[in-house]
Amino acid sequence: MEIGNLFKNGKIIGMVSNYESSFNFEGQVKDLKVKNIEKSLKMVLLDETILDKEMKELTLSELFKIELLTKLNNNVIVVGNLSKVLNYKDLEYIKKLLLKLNNDYHKKIVVIDRDVKVFFNLVKYIYVIDNKKILYSTNDFFDKKLYEYTKCPKIIEFINYALENNINLTKTLDIYELIKDIYRMVS
Amino acid sequence: METSVTIMCTNFNKEIVNKYPDYHLIDTSFNVQSLTKYRKIIFFNVFNELKEDKIKEIFKYLDDNKIAYINVTNNIEEVLLTKYLIIYDKDNILIEGNTLDVLKEEKLLKRIGVHEPFICDLSLLLKDYGLVNKIYLDKEALVGDLWK
Repeated sequence: MEIGNLFKNGKIIGMVSNYESSFNFEGQVKDLKVKNIEKSLKMVLLDETILDKEMKELTLSELFKIELLTKLNNNVIVVGNLSKVLNYKDLEYIKKLLLKLNNDYHKKIVVIDRDVKVFFNLVKYIYVIDNKKILYSTNDFFDKKLYEYTKCPKIIEFINYALENNINLTKTLDIYELIKDIYRMVS
Repeated sequence: METSVTIMCTNFNKEIVNKYPDYHLIDTSFNVQSLTKYRKIIFFNVFNELKEDKIKEIFKYLDDNKIAYINVTNNIEEVLLTKYLIIYDKDNILIEGNTLDVLKEEKLLKRIGVHEPFICDLSLLLKDYGLVNKIYLDKEALVGDLWK
């Protein structure tokens, strides 16, 4: 499968799939051959104290950020397992960083995760991939068929449950919009 | 300690399992039936790809077989599947207790980058607007009370 063929108008794409990182580097962080490493560290929310650490001492979150740092200059950046290794604050920041890399630097970005919530406000198109084959694709987060392949985010589950019970909530991915909608209906 | 516990930690690192040396570590795919040979199990980040019903099924199997288990995860939705919750900030316990009591400490949790489970977050916000008066743990009860 050619990843490049999947991009829709250069936007970031999401893939529901398993992801095994091939990043394997031994030694200290400072041994990485990365230009302007201090600047790059800031971009991925790390500080210079990490430079003296051994790779094997790093947390999963730090390893993810170091791996991303090594990819910042690539034209196509593939990242995976964000939901597994990042807390929600770091996740929101990294999503903004990926959007910036896409918008300002025209990087093509593939985000691979089993948690569709990671794709909210980030990707325009989602592919379900198994064994390098596209099983399904959609641009609608409320597409029920998508959740035959992976877990349904809780906000979508809640809205779908309400709709099934003839409560006419608006489809949204934003909890504050949902609150406003509920307030309008029940107050 | 309770027999079913979830651990979340800001410094998401497998080292955390070393704090529980009596527990057998499971950190990769496993056969549920094979778990009965252990009395205490610690899962590290293994349920991300499973749907909630399947995780509940596994936990029920462990409860029925009187196996104590700890689930180390960074998926906040999984905390609702056990009665007890421990939150580590780096290497130290920041807060622990019955899951619902810990989740009531929303400001403390947000400060360290831990979000509430969606349904708790939603009911806390609705509580602020005076639309409900308690924290809900499932969508059916919340929808039932809002549109009764």
